[in-house]
Amino acid sequence: MKTIPLYILVFFILLSASSCDKVIDLKLGSETGELVIEGVITNVKGPQYIKLTTNVAFSNTNTYPPVTGAQVTVNDQAGHTYTFTESAAGVYSISQLTGTAASVYTMHVSTNGKNYTASSTMPKQVGLGSITAAKNSFDSDNNKKKITVHYSDPKGVVNQYKFLLYVNGVQVKRVFVNNDDFTDGNYVSFDLIQDDIDIYPGDKVTVEMQCIDKAVYTYWLTLMQQDYNGPGGGVTPSDPPTNITPQVLGYFSAQTIQTKSLTVKE
Amino acid sequence: MARFLLTTFILLTTFISYAQKKFTISGTIKDTATGESLIGAAVRIQEISSAGTSTNSYGFYSLTVPEGEYTLIFTYIGYETQFQKISFHKSQVLNIVLNAKTDLQEVVIRANKPNNDNVSSPQMGVEKLNMTQINQVPVVLGERDILKTITLMPGIKTAGEGNTGFYVRGGASDQNLILLDEATVYNASHLLGFFSTFNSDAIKDVSIYKGGMPAEYGGRLSSVLDIKMNEGNNKDFTVQGGIGLIASRLKVEGPLVKDKGSFMISARRTYVDFLLKASSDTSISGSSLYFYDVNAKANYHFNDKNAIYISGYFGKDVLGLKNVFGTNWGNSTGTIRFNHLFNNRLFSNTSIIYSNYNYVVQSFQSNESFKATSKIMDVNLKEDMQYSLGSTHTLKFGLNILHHDIAPGDISTTQVSSFNEKHVEQRYGYETAAYLSDEWKASDQLTILYGLRLSGMFLLGPGTFKTYDAAGNTLTSNAYGSGSIVKKYFNLEPRLSASFAINDENSIKASYNRNTQNIHLLSNSTSSTPTDLYVMSSNNIKPEIADQVATGFFKNFKDNTYEFSAEVYYKWLQNQIDYKDGAQLMVNQDVESLLTYGTGRAYGIELFLKKKYGRFNGWIGYTLSRTERKFDAIDNGKYFPARQDRTHDVSVVGIYRFSKRWSFSGTFIYATGNAVTYPTGKYNVGGLTTFSYSERNSYRQPSSNRLDIGATLEGKEHKKYHSSWTFSIYNIYAHRDPYTITFRDSKTVPNTTEAVETSIFATLIPSVTWNFKF
Repeated sequence: MKTIPLYILVFFILLSASSCDKVIDLKLGSETGELVIEGVITNVKGPQYIKLTTNVAFSNTNTYPPVTGAQVTVNDQAGHTYTFTESAAGVYSISQLTGTAASVYTMHVSTNGKNYTASSTMPKQVGLGSITAAKNSFDSDNNKKKITVHYSDPKGVVNQYKFLLYVNGVQVKRVFVNNDDFTDGNYVSFDLIQDDIDIYPGDKVTVEMQCIDKAVYTYWLTLMQQDYNGPGGGVTPSDPPTNITPQVLGYFSAQTIQTKSLTVKE
Repeated sequence: MARFLLTTFILLTTFISYAQKKFTISGTIKDTATGESLIGAAVRIQEISSAGTSTNSYGFYSLTVPEGEYTLIFTYIGYETQFQKISFHKSQVLNIVLNAKTDLQEVVIRANKPNNDNVSSPQMGVEKLNMTQINQVPVVLGERDILKTITLMPGIKTAGEGNTGFYVRGGASDQNLILLDEATVYNASHLLGFFSTFNSDAIKDVSIYKGGMPAEYGGRLSSVLDIKMNEGNNKDFTVQGGIGLIASRLKVEGPLVKDKGSFMISARRTYVDFLLKASSDTSISGSSLYFYDVNAKANYHFNDKNAIYISGYFGKDVLGLKNVFGTNWGNSTGTIRFNHLFNNRLFSNTSIIYSNYNYVVQSFQSNESFKATSKIMDVNLKEDMQYSLGSTHTLKFGLNILHHDIAPGDISTTQVSSFNEKHVEQRYGYETAAYLSDEWKASDQLTILYGLRLSGMFLLGPGTFKTYDAAGNTLTSNAYGSGSIVKKYFNLEPRLSASFAINDENSIKASYNRNTQNIHLLSNSTSSTPTDLYVMSSNNIKPEIADQVATGFFKNFKDNTYEFSAEVYYKWLQNQIDYKDGAQLMVNQDVESLLTYGTGRAYGIELFLKKKYGRFNGWIGYTLSRTERKFDAIDNGKYFPARQDRTHDVSVVGIYRFSKRWSFSGTFIYATGNAVTYPTGKYNVGGLTTFSYSERNSYRQPSSNRLDIGATLEGKEHKKYHSSWTFSIYNIYAHRDPYTITFRDSKTVPNTTEAVETSIFATLIPSVTWNFKF
């Protein structure tokens, strides 16, 4: 349902042959040095990471200064406190924490004399059924493929999903999220529509499926909606609503993860 | 309210009958050749300079003056002025036919007092467009377009290139009431905004009210675009049409009963899809992309006192990709009007109006198949009366009951689909209004148009109606039975405008008006999409309110050849709507929980210089303005520029008749770029470069400018038929007008980001159309 604007957008780009793109120079302001927190607790055994960086000016390279020397802990609802240690500059991790479904995790970050907290509930995992590659309807002649994720949505429970798509090990730069507003209790086939990396036979494709809570879903959905900035759509961009207080850039998510890979055939 | 109107009416009538001995002259003014009634033609009396009126929408006029010997003057732009001497000792009917000017006569010096309506009328903030001019203004792909041409007037701004949406004096595009023969047109765009739903062949008269709105109009905050269809030639059958690059059109009109009734049918269809079929790419050749529309109208005059008009519009857009998805949307409207003349002073019109907008979005892929539908359907009953009260008062009053039936969204699916069936409760409601206005010629110099409109909104059951807190959580939820009132709102809307004529050529005008709006378009996209969602005022959504004051100086010079005006306005807006982050508006029962409310203000100055007659004519418009909004949730409740805030806006239109056969035209536009939000920093989350933002709309898109030219070659004169060629070049110096700017990871330099400007028409676009008439 949320892909309709995208369909219309792609359609129009195909048709408006005279429309064209040009890289331009813009004088943009720079409000930088703001704290960015990205905290993720997963259900997979292994180190869990909370990354602290600051934002940089648009004209800079995509390298983000780490925020070092912060105190980072996570509590679960049973009262355990897990202390994260700085394993690399700005990267705080812990190895003996594995998230469990339906548990609430609370993150505490203390840096530069300020305390930040956020809570997230790890949803019950929904199994990633399969991934398939099929003809891309928008460019079928050139043998381009699109990737579809299949899973069974549990009935009567509110679910939110996020997907990461990798083609030959390179992440596709698109946000893919879906919820079950329109698909509750069904066998769902969700197309990962994108125009970032073209997929052809022989490519190795990996999909990571995450089950996320509602606040984190709204965070990503806001970013996804801002992606459609072409003809036929687009919302006024703004920083997505974070679940961290006091407000900073970033989010804290307790989520389940699973991956599946596929080599695309003719 | 009805009783109040009646009482006032009786009182005023009684008052008049005891006054001096007066008689009434009334009738209709029509075109000699086609019998089309002329709207807004002026009727004046040479001997009494303060007496005068103009014809209403049906070409009817009525003027009450003391007995005497008079010379009546009938004028209408583009027509020869007619003088008629009358000996006035009893009330009488005088029907007038006027001859359209031929080209040669245009340069003849006009005798006596030419039309200086723009100076003398108390109405301000109104733009009337002449269809001849609209037809000569060059447009993209040769499809002449009313909605694009009106954006060349000061104070009216286009929503963007390739978009028929428009903003009037800082209002949003859903704050314009677009009427086609009185029926509301909800989505006035074809092909996602590239063309408007109005086929110029079928259109007779276009007026847009930007301010000082007369009391007979209401229901929207910013403007009323009142479009009237042709009635059809009641003398002869004619066929006319045109063949263009992307669309063709055909119109047939003629008498039903000579001089008593006529009909008109006009249709248009695009054929881009035939070109697509020829494409070698199967995904393009399997797609559909077209629209068509049909306008039809018929009228019959039973006698001098009774006439009936029936008109309708039907349009549809179809867009789809074979076996993937399909969507279609369209408006249909129907209007039945009955004119009745109670006596030669009291004119009445009763209208029954139907309007429907719906869309269907379908996915055909087996596992994702669904069909989503939505509609808004109105049935409207209107009674409008016009009463001529002496030579100095014209009263208008009426009642209006409009029933809305809105189906916000339904999804139906197949067994194998990922999607579930979903149904959002249908909503019903009434918008009602009563109004009274008087145009009072207080003295030779002062004319006052004042009135009052009472609007009522009733939201009705059945259904479950909720209220939400600021965070969007449900506070209360109540079930209502069928027909019970869930919420009602009443608003009084005073309307006042006055003109003070310094002399025949100069006047000063001022106006104040309040407008309210009870039906709101929800769309968090920045351009027009077919999936428009309308909601009524409710427990959560309060009526939008706008108060506007305006004042202006109007001047005509060189025998009214030139018109100049300068208007200043200030507007306050209440209960404006914006959306929360991540709002999912489509097929959502709780859509009202996703809204936030704020206020707005808009102010500006509009300068307009027009040359009306001569071989060379045209206009220059300039607007300097500011439009701001204020929401608690955005920028800590500070005013921020609305997207459509455009500091400078210039348009120049020139039409030059070179010879009997050749004429040339050109338009130039310049506008400050949209107010937009650009990143002020970047960071990385989820492996993606993500941008951070500071204040809303604090940047400007690059300014836009463009020159279009056109030429018309009239065919050789021929007894039986007439033909012409229209050539146009859109964007002649191939300027790249920025449509949108996006930010992304650079495709060329790794580990950096870039800003990318997208233009829709970055090249010049030539077109040619062949028109015929016989």
